[in-house]
Order: sequence, then structure tokens, then C-alpha cells
Amino acid sequence: MPTDVENWKSEVYGNEIRDRLFEFAEQGFDSIPDDERDAWFERFKWWGLYHQRNGQEGYFMMRIGTPNGVLEPGQLRTVGEIADEYARGPGVNPIFGDAYADFTTRQSIQLHWIELSDVPAIFEKLEENGLSTQQACGDSWRNIVGNPVAGKDGQEVIDAWPVISDLNERFKGNDDHSNLPRKWKVSVTGSADGSGQGDINDLAFEPAYKAVGDGSEDTVGFNVRVGGGLARNEPRLARDIDVWVPPEQVPDVAGGLSALFRDYGDREDRYNARVKFLVDEWGAEKVRETLQEKYVDFELETAGRDVREEYTYNAGEGERNDLIGVHGQKDGTNFVGLNVLVGRMGADDVLELADLAEKYGSGEVRLSQRQNVIVTDVPDDALDDFLDEPLLDHYSPSPSPFMRGSVACTGTEFCSLSIVETKNRQVRFARWLKANVDLPDDVDEFHIHLSGCTASCAQPQIADVSLRGMKTRKDGDPVEALDVGLGGGLGENPQFARWVTQRVPVDEVPGAIANLVESFADERDEGESFRAFVGRHDDDELDALVDPEETDYEDPMMHNTKRTWYPYAENDSMEDAPSPPADD
Amino acid sequence: MSDRLLRVNAYTTLDLVDGRARGHDFEAEAPGVVNVTAPREDPEHVTLEVELDNTAIDDLAAHADEIDLSPAQARTLAEALESTADRVEAAQSGDTDD
Repeated sequence: MPTDVENWKSEVYGNEIRDRLFEFAEQGFDSIPDDERDAWFERFKWWGLYHQRNGQEGYFMMRIGTPNGVLEPGQLRTVGEIADEYARGPGVNPIFGDAYADFTTRQSIQLHWIELSDVPAIFEKLEENGLSTQQACGDSWRNIVGNPVAGKDGQEVIDAWPVISDLNERFKGNDDHSNLPRKWKVSVTGSADGSGQGDINDLAFEPAYKAVGDGSEDTVGFNVRVGGGLARNEPRLARDIDVWVPPEQVPDVAGGLSALFRDYGDREDRYNARVKFLVDEWGAEKVRETLQEKYVDFELETAGRDVREEYTYNAGEGERNDLIGVHGQKDGTNFVGLNVLVGRMGADDVLELADLAEKYGSGEVRLSQRQNVIVTDVPDDALDDFLDEPLLDHYSPSPSPFMRGSVACTGTEFCSLSIVETKNRQVRFARWLKANVDLPDDVDEFHIHLSGCTASCAQPQIADVSLRGMKTRKDGDPVEALDVGLGGGLGENPQFARWVTQRVPVDEVPGAIANLVESFADERDEGESFRAFVGRHDDDELDALVDPEETDYEDPMMHNTKRTWYPYAENDSMEDAPSPPADD
Repeated sequence: MSDRLLRVNAYTTLDLVDGRARGHDFEAEAPGVVNVTAPREDPEHVTLEVELDNTAIDDLAAHADEIDLSPAQARTLAEALESTADRVEAAQSGDTDD
């Protein structure tokens, strides 16, 4: 039997949701019948709207999908203006204020406190400026990711941006692919650094060379991998299905695999629905055979020669673990990666950055999968003045490894799944680590990812230090805690973190990381990366190295933040939760 | 250690319980997770899931225990939990009065 969600989807889904969404917006939040709320909230996701958590009734998170993280000139200003006008609610964040935008690990943008009645006006403004929330969530093609500087990157093998644009055009709003068994995450990367993070996507296109035709020279195209993903305590790396495809045939292969997933994915059990489980069941060979027999009308090439040995992005060592700092573009100008700690930027800062991007670059801005922002097209003669701008003191192109390495999900502030506070906590952790912990001089990257639950939105399994929300008891009281994993990362040979220590009270986590780094500094082989250091220790040894300890770090959110209506409210109990916003 | 087997999020019934694993030749105290669940559509039984933290138990491989209960069994268990909880609370309030 299909699930509730499948039944709801079979009644109304895809493009047609929009009309009903607008009707509800017109008539007010209360016009959604109580017994239909679960169904409508599920459907609204297809249009990028998530109802916020218990205690925040009537407020929505809105996700804007920006393919490959590309914000064309003027679009960042649009985002800032919408955040400033609409992303304000009854809760005020003590670090970030009362209007902000979040840059996500899938190169999208999230706004909070959105009221249903404002959605039509927001959609109008987004669409006037070439932006959309369509399929940003829900069971369909999600925002396509890749190397954010595609088309500009001096280290590029092939320009993936035209391919991504084409896929986005074809599969956004495409009724044949709008109702899939589950989300469908696609990565297309043209650079040799691995910055598209294809290995953790449902479908990955990675640059590869292949001699095709009559003994001709190597052609650049893409190898295809299927079935990666991190969620549900069952992380998988995408499997090589032994297919190489030239750029012009990417849409056929991508559409074929999306259709294969649509037709064969599990609609009986949502926990088993992602294509990674179908690949587990079938094996890569059967995926290839079925794709060939039923979904494409040309002979598939076997895999070409990849460039995975050059991957450095989030790989634990080597250059370009992220895209922070100044890098040369193909056209002789520069892109400048700025660190946005935990991906959150106040609306005022978003607007100021939009000004700076216009003043010093082309006005274009791009978002990375490490929740950071990249200003492109900055000429050499404008670079010094741009780097001197006061805004860059905060959003630095050369931040501490602990600042640039921090990634965090939404957490109990808004998310109905999370069991711990995340973003503000990760800010506090990063600031404390920056002030108190010294990495060895030759180590300039250290990635710490904090996820509020096992859904893995902060991609915790692919960090040097992985933190995931739990609870423990301290001095007799239940307190927020984190499981600690070590040694995950991507690169040529990606691997997931090993979870070595469970339920560390949150106020002892900075001390645990400090002790861990101290042991690493003392005991590492010369030039050894943290990931390699972890790799040669067993779990018990690593558990001993974690060594939780109280320090002068104080955590103001030790209590059970998921039981508050908003963790930072003066009166935070559920009884003090605000009423749904009045329709205006 | 291996990763947790049970998903732990805000819908998990209890994300922190005190428990122990006991065998003929070992006993280990461990915190754990308890969850009650059933499929969303056409469920045939209630599933009670228990996972004690693997790092606290050397003698067992990482695992979760899952028990399928008929609705009647689930109610019997719920009633037993309720009545026993009443007894424990009564005893505790008696302690307080002393």
C-alpha cells in the first residue's frame, strides 16, 4: 500500500499546488482545514515552503533554489530585500538579529518566519527577478549543485554551467518528473577539485575524458554515479555505473535515470525510497542495463578516465578544501570566496554585499556547498579596495580554520526534526576554538559539521569532526549533547566519519575538540593531515583522544531547546508561543 | 563503534533513558533510546524499539532490539506501564512525606 504522502501526492502535486497555495494565502492560514494540514504542508514543500516547528504555528521556512548557487547580478539584492521585508517574526536571534538569509549546503537560500499571506507577493518579486522556490523541497528534482564557479574557474576541465542550466530548464516544472518517490538530488561538476560533491548525491556527473568515435582524441564529458546520500543513519557514496556521457547527452541520461527512479523507486516505504536503496538492491550493473534497455535510445559509452585523483574539496588535505579566498578566473579577473559562518547573513549585510558585488565585480554572487558566498568577476585593479571593505572583516576571505570549517544545519530554532540548538552553538564553538586552540602551523583546514539530528542536513559524516544532536544527563539534569564522529571527508577516496564518542554534553565539546587537536599536534607524523591521523587509529583510541572537558566555554542553551517555542525568547515555554500571524 | 541504528530526532519517543545490558557473564550500564512507531499507512503492529549506546557496552556488537506488538499487546504494555508508573509515583510521594 502506498504511504499517506503518496496518497496526498496522487490527489494534488506539482505545479497545480500553486493555485491552492495562493487560495489559502488569500483566505488566510486558518482556512487550511485542520484535518488537511499535514497533507497541504507536505505539498507546499514542492513550492519551497516548510511549515516551521511546533510553537511557531503559521510561519514557514521558504527555500529559494539557485541552480549551482548562481545569483545573477541583482538577484542577491532581491534576496536581501525579501529577507528584510518578509523574514521577520516574533522571535529575535541574539546573534543574527531579526531578519537574515541562510545559505545552505545545497547552494540554496532559506528564509524564516514567512507568513502564508505574503507568499504571492514574494513569489511575484522572486519571479520578476528570475528566482524561484519551485521544487526547492519535495519529491522531485531539487536544486542542482556543482562547482559554484562553473564557467569561470581557472581550474575547470569542462564548463558545467550550460549543462546545469539546461537540466534546470528541462526538469523544473516538468510533469513527467515532478512526482518522484522521494527527493532527487543531482550534482554536475566540471572542475577537477571535486567541489560539486557528487559522491553524496542521488545522481552525479563528474568530469572525465573518453576517446570516442574512430580513434579520435579524448573528448571531455562526464562519468555517471548514482545512489549517494547521507540521511537515515545509512550514508551511501554514489556508485559508479560505468557510463560516460558527452555534455549534449547529459539531459537524456539524467532524465532516463530520473524516470527509472520514478518507475522503480519504493513508494511503499518513504524510509526506503531514495534511489540509494534501489542501487543497493539492484547493484550498479542492473541500473546501467535498465537505463540502456528502457530509458535511452542510444548506445551508452563505458566510463571514461576521471580526474578524481585531483579532488581536493573537503578532502582533508591539499589546496582548495573550500573556495574561500582569492582565486583566478579564466578571463583574468578573480573570484573571492568569503566565509559566512554557518551560512547565515543578516539582511543588511546581504544588501551591503550586493552593493559591493556591483561596485567591484559584475554584481554576480555565487554560493558554495560549504555555506559560503563567492563574489565573482573582480578585476585585479579593484581587488585591494574590495578586500579593504569593512564588511569583509566579518565575512573574511582569510578566516581562521575553525571559522571557515564550520557548517551547521537549522536546528531547534526552526526545524521540527532537530533535538539540539545548532547554528548559534556552532558560532560559539568556532569563536571559542579560534581564541583558544592552535592547529599545527601547516594545517590550515579543519572542518566541523554540526547536525541537529540524524537527518544529516549539515553533512556531518564528511567532516574532520562530525557533531550530531543527542541528549545526556549532567549533574542529574538532562542536557543537550552531541555524538562525535571523526575522519570523514570527500576527495578521490571519500569516506564517512567513524562515530567514536556518544553523548558529550554540549558545554564539554569545545574542550573535547581542544584535547583532540592537542593530541593530534603532539602525536602526528610530520606533515600528516588530521584525516590521515584519524585513519591510523582505532575507534577506542580515538574515543580516548576526544576526552570531553569543561572549559571557560559556557553554553547558554544546555536545556531542552526543542521544548521551547523559540529557544531565544525571554519567555520560551510552549504556553508562551505566539498565535498564528493575523492575516493582513 | 558503529553508527546508531535508530534514527534520533524530535519525533523519537525517548532520546535519553538509563538502561543496562546484562548477560550471564557481563553487565553494563548504558544510556539508550526508546521509540514507539508504526507504519503510517495500513500498520499491522506497533513496534517498540530499544537501542543502548554501543560505546558503553564492550560485550555486544552494536545493535537495536525491535519488538512487534499487536494493538492488544501494546495496550497491555501501556496499561502495565501506567499502573507501574502510578505505583512508583505513589512510593516516591510516600518517600517525600516521610
